[in-house]
Parts: sequence; C-alpha cells; structure tokens
Amino acid sequence: MVGMSLVDIDLIIGGPQGGGIDSAAQVVIRSFSIAGYETYGIREYHSNIKGRHSYFHVRIKDEQVRSLRYPVDLLVCLDYETPFVHIDDVAKGTIVLYDEDLKGTKIEQVLTMEPETKKHITERLKRDNLETTLSGAIEYMKRKGAVPFPVSFRDLVVKALGPNKPPSRYANTLGASMAMALVGLPPEFTMSGIASVFGKKKEVLEDNEKIVNGGYEFVKTKNGMGTKQLKVLETKERYIITGNEAVAIGKVVGGLKLQTYYPITPAADESFFLEGHDYFEEGNVSSISEENEVLKKTGVVIVQAEDEISAIAMAISGAMTGARTATGTSGPGFSLMAEAIGYAGINEIPVVITLYQRGGPSTGLPTRNSQADLLFAIYAGHGEFVKIVYSSGDVDEAIQDAVKVFNYAEKFQVPVIHILDKNLANSFYVIDQLDYSKMKIERWLKTAEEGDADRFKLTSDGVSPMAFFGKNIIWLTGDEHNETGHITEDPETRDEMLEKRMKKVNLILKTIPEDEQVQVFGDDNPQVTLLSWGSNKGVILDALDQLRKEGIRGNLVYVKLMNPFPSGLVSKYLSGSKLIINLENNYTGQLALLVRQNCGIKIENSILKYNGRHPTQDEVYRSIKKIINNEEKTVVMTSGA
Amino acid sequence: MAHNFRTDLWVDWCPGCGDFGILAALQQSLAELGKKPEDYVVLSGIGCSAKTPHYINAAGMHTLHGRVIPFATGVKLANPNLTVIVDGGDGDLLSIGAGHFVAAGRRNTDMTIIIHNNGVYGLTKGQASPTLPRGTKTKGLQRPNILDSLNPVALALSVGYTFVARAFSFDVKQTKEIIMKGIKHRGTAVIDLLQPCPTYNEINTKEYYEERVYYMDKDASWDPAVREATSEEAENKYLQAIKRSLEWDDKIPLGIFYQNELVPSFGERINGYIPSYFEDVPSKSPICDAEGNPLVRMEKIFSDRLIKK
Repeated sequence: MVGMSLVDIDLIIGGPQGGGIDSAAQVVIRSFSIAGYETYGIREYHSNIKGRHSYFHVRIKDEQVRSLRYPVDLLVCLDYETPFVHIDDVAKGTIVLYDEDLKGTKIEQVLTMEPETKKHITERLKRDNLETTLSGAIEYMKRKGAVPFPVSFRDLVVKALGPNKPPSRYANTLGASMAMALVGLPPEFTMSGIASVFGKKKEVLEDNEKIVNGGYEFVKTKNGMGTKQLKVLETKERYIITGNEAVAIGKVVGGLKLQTYYPITPAADESFFLEGHDYFEEGNVSSISEENEVLKKTGVVIVQAEDEISAIAMAISGAMTGARTATGTSGPGFSLMAEAIGYAGINEIPVVITLYQRGGPSTGLPTRNSQADLLFAIYAGHGEFVKIVYSSGDVDEAIQDAVKVFNYAEKFQVPVIHILDKNLANSFYVIDQLDYSKMKIERWLKTAEEGDADRFKLTSDGVSPMAFFGKNIIWLTGDEHNETGHITEDPETRDEMLEKRMKKVNLILKTIPEDEQVQVFGDDNPQVTLLSWGSNKGVILDALDQLRKEGIRGNLVYVKLMNPFPSGLVSKYLSGSKLIINLENNYTGQLALLVRQNCGIKIENSILKYNGRHPTQDEVYRSIKKIINNEEKTVVMTSGA
Repeated sequence: MAHNFRTDLWVDWCPGCGDFGILAALQQSLAELGKKPEDYVVLSGIGCSAKTPHYINAAGMHTLHGRVIPFATGVKLANPNLTVIVDGGDGDLLSIGAGHFVAAGRRNTDMTIIIHNNGVYGLTKGQASPTLPRGTKTKGLQRPNILDSLNPVALALSVGYTFVARAFSFDVKQTKEIIMKGIKHRGTAVIDLLQPCPTYNEINTKEYYEERVYYMDKDASWDPAVREATSEEAENKYLQAIKRSLEWDDKIPLGIFYQNELVPSFGERINGYIPSYFEDVPSKSPICDAEGNPLVRMEKIFSDRLIKK
C-alpha cells in the first residue's frame, strides 16, 4: 500500500572512480535484497577511468521504490572529495561518515575536482565564514543539522587485516558495511551480500568479511549509533540487473541472433554483457516441439564493428537475411547511423536500434542523463519514411519492450528505434523471475514463397510479403525502386511506392494495442496532469503519491509510442485536464512540441532538467507545487552533484 | 536451360566501359560455380559499378556509398552458408569506405571483394579517385590531381587480406578464373580489377593496360600460396607479394599476389565461442514455438545476476 512505508532510506556512497564504488553498490543492494527490502540505485560518474569523483545513490524501502530523494539520510565519504561535492545533499539528521585522517585537506589540494566545482563550493564555505578544508565542509553540513561520523579508515583496516593491506582497497566495503550497520541491517545480511559479490575469490572474500566485522564493531562502540535493528522481510529469488542488462535479457529471450555495436557510453555495457552470455546449451533453451529437437544449443553473435556506420549496416543486412538483429548506441554513434536508417526506411527493413540518450550536443556529457534526442530519433535520416520510435521508462518495460520492438519491426517491416536514457541504463534494479507470458514473439504478417519474389509488392496495407536473402531472389537499392527492387525514377511509380510505405503509419497506430502506445496512471478527475515519457515515470508517480497525501489528485499521461505519434489517444487523455505540466530532461520540451504539432494542444507549464543528473522526488514534488500555486510556469530542476 | 545469371534490364554503362567485362566474368563465375541463384548475394556501394547487382540474376543489394563491406559482412554473419560478393568502386572502397576496407582485412570474413579500379569517380563526372596518381590531369579535372595515389594491393596485404589478386577487365576469361579462385578462397578475397573508364580517364585506357599487363603465373616458379604454418614461409610469401605490388609504370602484374588459407575466417573465429554457429545459423535458428513463446530462458544464462542468500 502506498505511503505506509516504515523504512525509507536514501544513501550516497562517494569516492574516486576506480575506487570500488560499483562493488559497494552491489554489496548494498544485494544485502538489502536478501533481507527482503526494495532498492533502486543510480550510478553517477565522470568520463574518466581513475580518480574523478563518482557516487552511488540508492534508496531502500519496504515497499516498491521508483525514485531517489534529497536530502539523503546517510552520506558515506570514502575520500576527501566527497564531503565537498555533496555539501548540499544533507539536512537535519543526515549521518555524514568521513575519514577523519583527511580532515585537514584543503579544497585546493583536491586535484581531481573540477575548478568550477571548487569555485562554487569555496564560495559557499566562505559565505558561511568557514575554512575551505574538509573540516570546514563537515562544519557546513553540521550547521544544516547533519551528524558527523568520523572514522579512521586506515586504523580500521589495519585492525581488521594487519598493516600490509592497502586501506584504500578496502574503503569501499568498509564504508558500505558501516552504512548498513548505522541503519541497522543485521550483519548476517551484509555478510551474504559480500559473499554474493566476492564469493568467487576466497582470499578477497575472507578479507572483506573481516572488514565487515570491523565496521559493525566500530559502529557499536559509538554511543547511540547502530542500536536500531531493521526488521527482516519475506523474500524470494531475485536478480540484480542494470537497465543495459535488462534490454540485453529482453533481446536474448526475444530471439536476438545478431547484435552489432561500436563502444560508446552508456550503450556499450549492454553488448559487453551479451558477450559474456552468448552461448546457451540444453537447459537454457527449450526445444520447439517433440518433433523438432534441433534447438538444444544456440547462440547470439555479438560483433564489435569498426564504427557505428558499420554496426548499423551489418545489422540491416543481417535483418534482411532473416535473423532478429539489433545494434545499440548513444548520441554520437546514432548521428553516424542516420544515413543507414534512411536505407532501412526505403527498403522496409526490420532492424532494431537501441538508443541510450546521454547529454549532448556533440560529446556533451558522455556519462550523464538526457532526453534531448527524441526529435532527432524521430527525424533521423533524410527524406520521408516510416520508423517506429518506442520508449521504455523502467526495467520491467525495458525487458518486455525489447521483445515488442522486434515484433513491431518484423510485423510492419520498418526500422525501430528503442529509446532509453543513461538514467535507466546505469541504474541498478532488482527484478523477480521473468513473466514469459508478457514476452510473446510475433513475426512477419506475411512472407513470400521461396525463389523469385517481389520484395516491394504493392498491397492495401503497405506491407509486402517479407522476402529474405538465402530464400528469395530479390533486389534492394537505396534508390527509389519498383516492386522487384530495381531502380526507377518513373514519377507514377515513385508516388505509388512512397505512398505504400507511408500507409504503414495508419496500420501501426491501428494495430499496436492502445495501452502499448500511451498509458495513464493516477487519479480520475485530476487537478493536475503530468505529461512525460521514459525514465521520469517512477519519479513522477512517487511525487504524485506525495501530493495525494496532501489531498491533491494528479495523474500521469505517459507516452511510449513516440513515432508515429498517437495523436488521438494523447488528445483524449489530455482533454479533461485542468492543469497540464510537461516534464522532461531537456531544454526545449520536446514531447510538448510533439503534442502541439500533432494534437494542436499548447502545454503552458513545464518542468525541465538538463544538468545531466536524475530528477529526484523532492524536486519534482516542489516543482509541481510551484506550478499549482501559480508561482512559475517553467521550473528548471537543478539537483545532483 | 542452365541459369545464366542475366537480368533483362538494359545495362546503362557507357559504351566501352570496363564494367561490362567484370559483369560478364562474374555472371560466368556464378554459373560455373553451380550454386542456386538464391545462394548468392551480390552487394555494391554507390557509383557506376554499384549497378552491377541489378544486372545479375541472383539476390542483390545496392547499398550506401562506402558501406558495402559492412552490409556484406552482415549477410554473411547472419547466414554463413551464403556466397557473398562485393562490387565497389575505387572511391567507394578506398576513400569513403577506407576504414571498412581496413577492418575487413582484420576480420577475414569469407567473401570476395571486387574493386572496380578506374582512377575516377565516373558517376559524378570524373573527379580524382584514390588510385589516380598525383600530377595526373584526366579530362574531368579542373587541374592536375594534387593527392598521391594509394596502392590497393599493398594496402590489402598490409591489413591482413588472405587472398590478394589483380585482374584486367578486358581479359574476361582470366578475370573469370581469378574471380572463381577468389570465391573459392576461405577468407576474404580482394581483387584489384583494372577497369578503364572510357569517358573520364583518357590516360589509363584499355590500350594503356594492354601494353603493360602480364600474368605473374606465366613464370612457373611464381607461387603465391602460403602452405605451411611456419612464420618463415608466411613472411617470405608476404614479402614477395609486397615487392611485386610495387611494380606499375612499365609492367603491371596480374594474377594472385598472395594467398593464405591457414588464417581462420571470421566465421570460424565466431564458431570458436559459439560452437553451434555453423549448424544453427542465425538466420534460420528458431526463436519461438507456434504460440510465440520464446525458446530461450534467462534463469540459467544470467545466473550470475541471481542474488543468493
């Protein structure tokens, strides 16, 4: 039940890139999951391998968790940069765990910190007449009501493991285990979490177990700290995955046979994960029927191409050969793919492109979140052709949609862009066993007989019988073509062919079930309607729950089929609304532009965020309130380090 | 009647174009190899040579400028049983598509690449292509070419192609023989096909080549094939090929420069980690039952993501 949560903890663990933040995140999520809690966590990191500040923000609840929140309840600083950078992420009661051996560090000594960040933090400390040292930062947070929790990482590591082990290597598990001790997770769950992450390496596991014991012991010695004990909840077998991995799992179950890619953040993790899971033997594959025992082993071919142009080209021709084929990329790589997407358009090729948005333009913010590529995805490629752009907003959607986008591609014989973002790609989710009934595979509406075939046969719905290399004698060309696929510039044939392709717009909107196009969540007769897409879904629903507690009824009109645009449905769902607010992670409000273009509805209010960080529940809530109270029409959200 | 691999389209190249010889040699090769027309896929990029697939009665894919190699690679990856042939111009394969040309050498996918080499961009009216020497002024140019030419044979050798040959399109019979050897080669075969452009290149004409070309295998001691896996033999064959590739001005060698079937093809490399690859080819592999239920289950495959107590 909503709002009955007894446990609701926001935790940040910060440290240098390469300092084991990811392992700490895994330990925290696995430990709480084993104890039956729900978690949701996002990684924030620089485009850098070693040294720059990275952090992991996780929220832990005893009920469904869909978003993060500031201020946090616990800030764990594994290095001297974290207390400076997260100086404003705390409030009354926040426990700030930091390394007391570093307290004299001056901000100018923090070489990994960007000068702009240094300047902003220095200004804040000076404004409060505080030293620009780590002690000053701790004092700044103390004045906001935070509770400092000084620890000597070196002493604790030496105590646990002796003098020969480098403290920096264990700071991550030490910090994580003290955090879990402070919120009262019984140590056996932390031990299970540790075993689940480091279980394969015996020595590493033993060292880390000693570290956990040391951490819990130390917290106990502090007066009044670590005395509470969290309840253990019922649990079942679950998986921890990222959004990238969710898409990969959906693709594999959905019949992916060939995936091409060129390394790019934040898309490459999906293909990298697939490379480690690309061959399946009996037990992982069920044979089709008793008569067909062929499929006892199978695989997915993952190819690292020489660039994104090659990746999309390989994927397109793989799809024309009859294999379920996809490629994955992000903004800069997607830009390179634009010409080939047009080729897939004119040749009606069922290829899937998974697009993980990141901050642009150009290299932009390579490791940060954005929703600024929506219009580009819709319009990528010159000339006019039909493509589907389909959006997922959480991990369950990502898994199921990874199957759906293949179905759409093959049924309608169009390229499909599955659009997601860094926020979803790099978040950690805990999922149950898959519900295979929601992952039905649907293939072509019609296929050609073997041998000679007219690849582009004119039909009433625009869809020709699908023909393949290896089965049919067919021709494809990027030129305008006749039914056989040979080049033609005949004006009447041009009209027929272009109109044939464009007919699919109606077919797509008529065929895809309404609730796969647009969804509505929340109250009837809403006082406020949020319009959004993608990974904002969870945070908006949490903010609406918060408003509901104050008696404000709200709903969310959540668009999934971004192109062709479901104008009728969106108009219908927005028509009764008294106050509509568009919320997106971009500057121009691209979904609102689409609504205006397609539905003729001008949305007057918007909540936007474009600093590359994820929107949090508190700021979404505050921003909606500002608009309801007529204080502002456009609110720009700015939280996040 | 045997399939002759001709379509009934009017071939729209200029009279005297070297592409006619390549088309004839290719059609004869496909007929002689004896596979069904649907077992071949002929792909091309953009330009005059890119019309080739439309004139061949087998599956054809006329792709994008410079990108024909990746398109061809995708076909072969999805169905390694198909015979894949690439027709590209020198501008297509060695300028806009040069990156793909280099990457293809490293992959050694089992396919054949025919470079229609005429020194110019014909279809855009005769600009200089990467094989036109510096200082040359062909009739489509405003001034002599200021870029150095590249050597397709030496480039192919240096990036790992395992079959490197040259042919002359006005010798259809020998061209056909070399194309067939290329198709039979296990790995990527690249053929530098000298193909005079009668409209825009009045320097590298049919007569220019006829005065200079010779077949390397006329000398009975010429042996381009690496037969032992010893590094010494491979190195010697490689060095003799590089040396021969430098001949041009007075004597232009034709035939096979280098062949090494001891290097595993891309498909064989994939089969190394997906041992079912050649039997359960991606394009034919079943993915669902009659009700659309997926055949692959995640639980065991992704067990490393399971949270264990």
